[in-house]
Amino acid sequence: MTRPLVELRAVSKQFGTVRALDGVDFSVQRCEIRGLLGENGAGKSTLMKVLYGLYAPDSGEVRVDGEPVHIASPRDSIDLGIGMVHQVSTLVPEFNAVENIMMGGEGDSFTLPVAAVERRIRELSDDFGLEFPLDAKVKGVSAGVKQKIEIVRALYRGARLLILDEPTTSLVESEFVQLLESLKRLVTRGVTVIFITHKMREVMEACDSVTVMRKGRVQSSLGRGEMTKERLVKLMFLERDIDITDSALPNVTVKPTKRSARPLLELDTVGAPGLHDLSFHVHGGEIVGVAAVSGNGERELAEIIVHPRNITSGEIRVDGASVNGLSTLDVFAWGVAFTPEDRVHEGVLNDGSIVENTLLGHHGEARFVSHRGFVRWNAVRQATRSVISEYNVDTPDETLAIRRLSGGNMQKSIIGRAFVSDPRVLVTHNPTSGLDISTVEFIFERLVRMRTEGGAVLWISEDLDELMILSDRIVVLHGGSIAGEFDRDRFDKVAIGLKMIGG
Amino acid sequence: MGDIKRKFARGVLIYGVSIGLSLALVLAVLALLGYDVGRAFTTLFFTSFRSAFGFRETIKKAIPLMFTTYAFTIPFMIKFFNIGGWGQMLFGGTAVTVVSLLLAPVGLPAIVLVPMLLVVGMAAGALPAGVAGWLKARHDINPIISTIMLNFVAFYTVNLAATADRFKDPTAGHPITIPLPAAATLGTWWGIPQSILGAVAAVVFVHLLLERTRLGYEIRAVGYNENAARTYGINFEKTILFTFLLSGALAGLGGTFEVMNIHGKLIEGFAKTSGAQYGILGILTSLVVAGNPLSVPVAAFFMSVLLVGADSLQRVMQVPVEMVFVSQAVIVMSVVVLRTRLSGKGR
Amino acid sequence: MAFVNVLLTQIVTYTTVYTLASLGVVIAGRTGVFNVAGEGIMLASASAGFLAAFFSGNWLVGFAVGALMGALLGAILIFLHETFLVSQFILGISLVIFGSGISDLLYKLVMGVRLQAPIAPATPDVTIPLLGRIPIVGAFLNHDLIVYLMYVLVGASWWFFYRTKRGLETRAIGENPVAADVVGVPVVRRRYIATIVGSACIGIAGAYLPIVIIETYAPDIAAGRGFMAIGIAIFASWKPQRAFIGGMLFAAIEVISFQLQIVSDQIPFQFFLMLPFVAVLAVMVLFKSRIEFPAAVGKPYSRE
Repeated sequence: MTRPLVELRAVSKQFGTVRALDGVDFSVQRCEIRGLLGENGAGKSTLMKVLYGLYAPDSGEVRVDGEPVHIASPRDSIDLGIGMVHQVSTLVPEFNAVENIMMGGEGDSFTLPVAAVERRIRELSDDFGLEFPLDAKVKGVSAGVKQKIEIVRALYRGARLLILDEPTTSLVESEFVQLLESLKRLVTRGVTVIFITHKMREVMEACDSVTVMRKGRVQSSLGRGEMTKERLVKLMFLERDIDITDSALPNVTVKPTKRSARPLLELDTVGAPGLHDLSFHVHGGEIVGVAAVSGNGERELAEIIVHPRNITSGEIRVDGASVNGLSTLDVFAWGVAFTPEDRVHEGVLNDGSIVENTLLGHHGEARFVSHRGFVRWNAVRQATRSVISEYNVDTPDETLAIRRLSGGNMQKSIIGRAFVSDPRVLVTHNPTSGLDISTVEFIFERLVRMRTEGGAVLWISEDLDELMILSDRIVVLHGGSIAGEFDRDRFDKVAIGLKMIGG
Repeated sequence: MGDIKRKFARGVLIYGVSIGLSLALVLAVLALLGYDVGRAFTTLFFTSFRSAFGFRETIKKAIPLMFTTYAFTIPFMIKFFNIGGWGQMLFGGTAVTVVSLLLAPVGLPAIVLVPMLLVVGMAAGALPAGVAGWLKARHDINPIISTIMLNFVAFYTVNLAATADRFKDPTAGHPITIPLPAAATLGTWWGIPQSILGAVAAVVFVHLLLERTRLGYEIRAVGYNENAARTYGINFEKTILFTFLLSGALAGLGGTFEVMNIHGKLIEGFAKTSGAQYGILGILTSLVVAGNPLSVPVAAFFMSVLLVGADSLQRVMQVPVEMVFVSQAVIVMSVVVLRTRLSGKGR
Repeated sequence: MAFVNVLLTQIVTYTTVYTLASLGVVIAGRTGVFNVAGEGIMLASASAGFLAAFFSGNWLVGFAVGALMGALLGAILIFLHETFLVSQFILGISLVIFGSGISDLLYKLVMGVRLQAPIAPATPDVTIPLLGRIPIVGAFLNHDLIVYLMYVLVGASWWFFYRTKRGLETRAIGENPVAADVVGVPVVRRRYIATIVGSACIGIAGAYLPIVIIETYAPDIAAGRGFMAIGIAIFASWKPQRAFIGGMLFAAIEVISFQLQIVSDQIPFQFFLMLPFVAVLAVMVLFKSRIEFPAAVGKPYSRE
């Protein structure tokens, strides 16, 4: 047995009261693609951020090439030949690819050797099939291209270990295949890859071996021959009654329902900043998924339904009546409810109590505010208590500042708020992102219940796997236009994926 | 309930340490310079309570200070800085002076004139603050800059009114207007300015507005998270404008009371006390209570105690008033540091 | 022509104050630190710098002490911000108040009461042969060394930010500190350096007022210029070369409105005194669409 390239021993890390890593041992051999599998919150990213020098561990040891090392910052890990591609782009949007890649590192501090850097980038791009434009500002390029730039950046800095954190989040199927191709070429040239994901299928397709984590601990490591879906599921989730798909999602079944004769939500050739000529409809008793690679108008779509004043052409109708020109509160009053993409930044009043958060969006309703403009706090408190009990929000009481809730409980209270006034239409954007499987299951079931009760659900998500589980139809957005519409019986991951990237 | 106890203990710790730290600093400097430290200490803290005069002086300072503290605190709830409380005070005071002097020949009775002037003063204070709010909402100009710039405009506006041929007091060596007509001035009760009524009314109004009404909720919501507030249908621009108008009106009212109740005329450089602008003191006071509007009256009173003490230090012991001024800035920095540290979050 | 030259010479003198102060804001801003303490730094440095120049009899000592005082306040700002993550704006405003208190306190304690205003030691002009005698061009050249220092600092910071790799990295911090951090750029160290160096520039601008411009100390000597410097930095989209242009623009407005105030007897002089302050706002509205901010300016950064 050869000495491992990197070895972490008994690493622990605590955030506040949460034990994110609990005595983790982890090692990687040279020249393999090692999967790091676990559900959200299992500690995969935290572990790798310790290795990359972004988090200082509370205890434990890191060895590279068998030697104990102290990694205090990314500068140290880069010097040791470690590179990391983060889940969220870490490029400077205002800079082009060359500028982004040449940042950091020793030497040449007081010159700007652009031409030499460009030459080296071209070599790396050609070698590994990672092409991208060199002098376009990064803010204008797609997530897939950003990822290529980040990989080349790590290689440019001499990485012999490349860590990829959930690299498939904004890739479609064909791009995933391409990425795999590049990674295999890297391995043949002596680079080792750690591939973080929460999807079993990706591990089975991409990795030579896998380490499974659960609740801050390593469960087990398996070689290529030992990986089966059943085994991985068991390691990831221990014993569970729920059926789990190979993308690690709860396999909630949807029964046929009667859909309403008239659509509850209609978009009729809607144009707005970033959107062109959108037409589709959602009937009652229907879940319609919107699939889009991040940055293709999905934010704008969610935005325009709750802020229809920004419509430049066409019409949005709710239950047959036009909402064009209405304020957000009027749209809500018409029976539309909304949960935004970014929970923390758009979803909650962070320092506000759960009670204050429950009122948000309902602060125009006579139930909660008198016609003289006084808030009926007692009524709001009542509503809050029923949200907490109905949605199992884990909190000592309703006066707690909402930022102190865990991600899952925060999301449950956001969903609960959306249902406070019995909406007819729910627009929900990435409601499950970053949540553990039981919360995801809870949310799936809530969406299905709304569908069963005759409501219309418009579900925007960048995870095609989850859309395919629940949706009656999937609408594909690309470049702010509709690139395709698929009925449930025609769902096909490759075909939809191609439409998502304009193929 | 444990939460409340913990909060209280934390408050005691924060203020205890901060005041102790800055006091130690001041007393150490005074000791170094050869002053009698014990006497300085008692003078600073107890002048307000040792005589009726001291107490009256404290109230006289606390009233305008409370208004400028509100003027900073309310926009600070939505994370904007109104540094223009002083200018808004000046505008308020100038407007009531000009209007009451122009109307002097009409001879309106106080019962009509006083309420009218209060409205004029509030409107005049709201004007520059509203401009700053509009510049932020419409042109995305940082209110720190706009309100400061408008302070200078306000200063020269006072100068303009106080040197105008129509209004100026020809016998004064300094830009000062002739006195307001008697019907336009307010009196005192046992030496306490009648404007205390206005101050109490303002406290009640602000509390009700912020704690009980939808408007108050919207302001708080924007303060917690403007993106979430916007997403869920709160008009961000309108909230900015409203908070600035309200804060300007309150500062304007403070300036109005200074002219109508304290000076009886417009004086260049008024709206200062112990050598500092009420606007700046209001910012300090507000930061000490971390912009919590409910604590404003208490904080304004406490700061006035220190200011009265500082005046007395200067008079009796020849200690420069700036000493207390600097120490207040130290208290503020210490309080904000401890507060962010202990609540475990950055702002 | 001679009149224009005199006016221009005076404008360049004031340009030095505005440009150095806004350059200080720009340098810190490029690393994401929004330094709004400028007014307080200028005041404290004016007082400390003047006292040092007066008692040493040497203008250079005055500027050195002014720069040091600026650096000290800048260090307090960045230390409290980085260590405790306290809002840069709250710290900045507190330091304005602290600085304005310190300035008069220091002066009163050290100088006491004097019947005659103390006069600062003269700062010698350095004339450049030939070039200095050309009209217009000469107005930029026949000045004291601090003016030349301002030219050098503007040029050097442009070169640093746009022509060196280290400058590129430093700008990256202001755009996206995470991006800089993950490639090994020492974010916190660079922020310390930029804030302290920038504050020293502001300190020099503050010391310039009593030592060169009015040649004695007066309370509230900065008169809002520390705040106007923030406006100039924003107007300049946080670019050093444009900070010079902006500095010159506001110097021109100040000097010309002062001249107009003497000449005009129709319009009350107060309007001319208000003019520079209104101009700041007008310029910011007019150039709104061209203004760019470093994306992360004013925001705290922490890894966890």
